[in-house]
Amino acid sequence: MTSIWEVIDRTETGTYMEETDFDLKVVAKKCKELVKEYDIRYDPKQIITSDDSLADDVFEAGLRLALESGIYCIDTKRVVKFDEYEIKEGIISAPRRLLIGENKDSRILYARGVEDERNPIICGGQAGAAIPEEWYLPMAISYMKEPLVDMINNGGLAVVEGRKVRTKTPLEIQATRRELSMLREAARRAGRPGISFIAAESSVSAMGDLAIASERYMRRTDSHLVALLNELKTDFDRISKVVNFYEYGAHNVTLVDPIIGGYAGGPEGVAVCFVASFLLGRAMYGSDFHVCHPIHFRYMSTSAPECMWNLNVVGQAMARNAPCIIMGDVWTSAGAGSEMVFYETAANTITNVVTGSHPLGVSATNGKYPHATGLETRFMAEIAHAVVRSRLTRKSANSIVVDLVKRYADRQGKPDVGKPFPELYDAAKVIPKPEWNATYLKMKKEIAEMTGLKL
Amino acid sequence: MSEAQLFEELAKAVYIGDEVKAVELSKKALETGVEPLRAINEGLMKGMSRVGDDFSQLKIYLPEVMLAAEAMKAALAVLEPEALKRGESKVKSRVVIATITGDIHDIGKNIVAMLMRANGFEVYDLGRDVPIDELVNKAEEVKADFICASTLLSTSMPYMEDLIALLKERGIREKYIVMVGGGPVTREWAASIGADGYGDDGDEAVKVAKDLLQRRVTQ
Repeated sequence: MTSIWEVIDRTETGTYMEETDFDLKVVAKKCKELVKEYDIRYDPKQIITSDDSLADDVFEAGLRLALESGIYCIDTKRVVKFDEYEIKEGIISAPRRLLIGENKDSRILYARGVEDERNPIICGGQAGAAIPEEWYLPMAISYMKEPLVDMINNGGLAVVEGRKVRTKTPLEIQATRRELSMLREAARRAGRPGISFIAAESSVSAMGDLAIASERYMRRTDSHLVALLNELKTDFDRISKVVNFYEYGAHNVTLVDPIIGGYAGGPEGVAVCFVASFLLGRAMYGSDFHVCHPIHFRYMSTSAPECMWNLNVVGQAMARNAPCIIMGDVWTSAGAGSEMVFYETAANTITNVVTGSHPLGVSATNGKYPHATGLETRFMAEIAHAVVRSRLTRKSANSIVVDLVKRYADRQGKPDVGKPFPELYDAAKVIPKPEWNATYLKMKKEIAEMTGLKL
Repeated sequence: MSEAQLFEELAKAVYIGDEVKAVELSKKALETGVEPLRAINEGLMKGMSRVGDDFSQLKIYLPEVMLAAEAMKAALAVLEPEALKRGESKVKSRVVIATITGDIHDIGKNIVAMLMRANGFEVYDLGRDVPIDELVNKAEEVKADFICASTLLSTSMPYMEDLIALLKERGIREKYIVMVGGGPVTREWAASIGADGYGDDGDEAVKVAKDLLQRRVTQ
């Protein structure tokens, strides 16, 4: 593997380029050319594809993009490139199995295959959201007390001790430490002290991350996200996070979230960009695993059909050609408390589980409102396990997902955002209120009947 | 080439992002006595309007929008001075826009900036991680109508509040229409901090900006 020292050197010695040229003349141009050359096409009727050659073409195109583009360092305006040997070394050395968490709460996080017959790891939480401090603890417990939830990725804090957290100020340190302290406390109270975290979401710059590299906060079996900026870019804040966790010994995880409609183009270009991002994320950040989060330029949600097609084809492309651990985000337009959130969660989860990723969510309302609870994540887990139990093939999964999409696609622009956590849960007992529980049971029955899944 | 054909060709040149062709046709319009304002409105603006429509339906993507905006900018550099000389062109509404302090995510802001340009606003894009006083100083310098701030980070949202507080502190709040947006920003929150406008996406941001401007003009 290319050493982090070498990576840092290359941010100073790579080819100088204006950022707009990198965006347009490198990323946009190459994505367009590769999509055309490999004849990669998105078909809304085939959200889950059964065509192995499509997945292989996406991989091949992505590998070429990775080699030709490299990663742009915004701070130095230089392009960090990796040669084929270095990229392939990254692929070969990528962990296929990782021990996460501790003692009875530990799990093996593994590289899923296409139509994998093993239960996926369920990562619960409203990742990406700003969660009010006063209900952060019960909300975190609501995920951890769900027996099917294996690990946690909850949101961050935007207010700490009544003070609004501003990026790159001392409060970022306070917020990140408080987030971790509350997650630890939640884990103890839920009787799962060893449960693994993907955390430090309050750390927007490197400041917060630097402050939690301690067993009191983040253990070495925990993970944090290091984003690749849109598209195929990074900066010294991201690299500082990587360096810190290298030294500390916890897991670096690439967060990849290309925008459909952005520089990489449509769904097809984004798929190519995804593969390149994973390969480069491994080479540059030394990431132990990746989070796959296609963003729809209008809805954000990963449950939009174009996004699920991406989760599908990218998951398969990687599983077939460069097996590595991928968590696929489940971000819904709708919020907890709504019926719509169940349709989106079901479609998104089925897609992930059948095509090579572990589900991570539910980040209801795309994390825009703290309208989320452990209950819809329980549903996500139940769907994921039912998919495996039913030995769902890609073909049958596709017809289910296409049907589910019809129930919500036209409402993604104006979704039912549901209600905040305290209106849906008894925060003292940390149990769903009867009305929310009744909605869950109703939707579970309806979706079981509709999909044939034994929920 | 008839006037109608010229306008259509101009629109097409903008749509496909052909900067050279857009400039060439703009010069031709002036040489053949076409009113520059009509060439702008019936040619360039129509092309950009198609770009906006197709982008919102994901028929084209951000790179195509950027190329179209560049072609339009180049053509405007030919037509606008002449229109102003003839007293045809009104002063455009000016927008100062940036991704606010602490945040380097700028794609959403770029999209809004381009769609505003496409809709006839004069846009000053200050980039990303821009301190609030820079936004305000630029707005003062160019006599802007709008100050627009974007962020994808909930921890940069407080800087939007600071922006409005700074405008008040300097006694110039009423001079500007302040709009905010970005991933975690909600309509309710925008209203709660006293922003004048908010858009869920680029299309809505432009629509709201036009409405707010109209309201200001009629007041």
